[in-house]
Amino acid sequence: MKEDMKKYLLHHGRQFGTFLGLVVLIIVLWILSPYFLKISNLLNIAQQTSINAIIAVGMTFVIISAGIDLSVGSILAFSGVVLAKSIQIGLPLPLAILMGLSMGLLCGWMNGILISYGRLPPFISTLGMMSVARGAALLFTKGRPISGFSGEFRFLASGEIFRIPMPVIIMILVYIVAHFVLTRTKLGRYTYAIGGNEEAAVLSGVNVKLCKTMVYGLCGMLSGLAAILLTARLNSAQPIAGIMYELDAIAATVIGGTSLSGGQGTILGTLIGAFIMGVLRNGLNLLGVSSFIQQIVIGSVIIIAVLVDMALRRPKK
Amino acid sequence: MSVLFNKILKIVLSTSVIWIGCQRDAQNTKGQTIALIVKTLNHPFFIDMQKGAEESAEKLGVHLIVQGAEREVDVEKQMQIIENLIQRRVDAICLAPSGSKEVVPGILKANKAGIPVLTVDTRVDTSALNEAGGFVETYIGSDNYEGGRIAGEYIAEQLGGRGKVAILEGIPGHETGDQRLRGFRSSIQHHPDVDIVISLTANWERDQGFNVFQNILQSHPNVQALFACNDLMALGAIEAIDAAGRRGEITVVGFDALNDAKKAIEEGTMRGSVAQYPLEMGKLAIENAYRVIKGNKIDKYIPVKIGLITKQNMDAQLIE
Repeated sequence: MKEDMKKYLLHHGRQFGTFLGLVVLIIVLWILSPYFLKISNLLNIAQQTSINAIIAVGMTFVIISAGIDLSVGSILAFSGVVLAKSIQIGLPLPLAILMGLSMGLLCGWMNGILISYGRLPPFISTLGMMSVARGAALLFTKGRPISGFSGEFRFLASGEIFRIPMPVIIMILVYIVAHFVLTRTKLGRYTYAIGGNEEAAVLSGVNVKLCKTMVYGLCGMLSGLAAILLTARLNSAQPIAGIMYELDAIAATVIGGTSLSGGQGTILGTLIGAFIMGVLRNGLNLLGVSSFIQQIVIGSVIIIAVLVDMALRRPKK
Repeated sequence: MSVLFNKILKIVLSTSVIWIGCQRDAQNTKGQTIALIVKTLNHPFFIDMQKGAEESAEKLGVHLIVQGAEREVDVEKQMQIIENLIQRRVDAICLAPSGSKEVVPGILKANKAGIPVLTVDTRVDTSALNEAGGFVETYIGSDNYEGGRIAGEYIAEQLGGRGKVAILEGIPGHETGDQRLRGFRSSIQHHPDVDIVISLTANWERDQGFNVFQNILQSHPNVQALFACNDLMALGAIEAIDAAGRRGEITVVGFDALNDAKKAIEEGTMRGSVAQYPLEMGKLAIENAYRVIKGNKIDKYIPVKIGLITKQNMDAQLIE
């Protein structure tokens, strides 16, 4: 009982720490730039963070299950061009959106099947998918972007409800649902169990293979959702979209306290992680800092966050 | 333990941000701020553009912010930069679009915020912009027509005002290629004894340049000069000339001044290549942004000078 309490505190203390990091960052930027702490800029940050934040939700599930998904950026591009083509050939909007989502889901399932039934390491399977989906997107479009969509579709990115941009609303919904799934459903609890100790999960009767397939499917589908928002935002679906998005998503997840060795992590932490990255990028832009330094800063933050994480998790004997 | 590490995290975070804060130029709230948003800053072309922009910003006494995405094709990052600099309330944005259609929503946001946008290097798609109801002040880019004209004059001079010329065209309908072609033709017209005997497309590509020019050498063995609308086709043609054992016999002039082309000029297999001047482009961008801020009218199209690189002037070019 006492152990549990300790664990609980440690766990939430870690999340609290990340949150404090975000708060400190915001205060510092507020001091440095008169433009930073304005409602319009904060909404701007939320909007810019939403795409990475949504992909990072799927990544969080995958990483909690002790896996990794390198293919999210490519899946995003492929789902995006399939969606765009569906709109272009005149499918009704909801159906086209469904096409985009299911393309992401299918690619994710493919990853999951290769990993659980084909026994491929996640790194290899998703590395392969990263190349396959990218190639498929390029082939499908002959390398050219597909652009020009209706106002209704673009509303998904440019619309606002009570001044809150649509992508932010969608992001919030995704986070509420994901938090519920991860903490309150079998799938979520099994994901932790698999990441914590896969053998034990198998022995206690968890259908690990099915569960893993679902987790990668979820990750792929969320990339498809991100593709919809990105396509609406740029009014164009590019086969070269989303290059290196996997690294941003992994970074947000890891900064948010999810352990790469699996079994630990929270959805809320990932949201904070995504916002730390979004706030940093925005702040550095406002201050006119060059993109070279931005890369160094963001990389350093990732390393520091993981260092802290590892130090906290080291078993004390 | 946990508290200690949180403290360390906080300290490191805040010091790093403060350090960056010190990096920024003195944020002068009084003077004007102009933003130059390029495609990426890891390309020599845009680094030169930045240098030019910095020079003229200093001369005019305006504050300059130069930003670019990590990757040239990352339109989404460029959009974020546009949005963030709108928040930063810059007085004007000079933009080299990463995607000529994809940046339109960003331009709209700047329009809405009342921040003038000038496009540099790459045009924004006019129909997409008009359809969305967006507006840009001007386009500042290389004068491809003038580039073609210079190439024509040079070839006529090299031939001593008399000779037979072949042309390798780009993909038909590409504005840049068409401009280069028109410029070249117009200058050759002024030399009655210089004849364009054949003009074919090699679709901008090196291997097609090789094939097409090999055919030309068969059908017109007496061709003395070649103008290729880009360097890749010129380099392909040079290989064809080599293969025919006629190295150095034909005056080849390309366009773009690629590194491979410069090497060929050094070796003497190529005579010249038309180069763009990103430094000048950056200067003009800032100067004209300044004029717009001051309420002056500027042209819808501002051509940037363009020049020919030959063996004679190459060293000087390199120093510049």
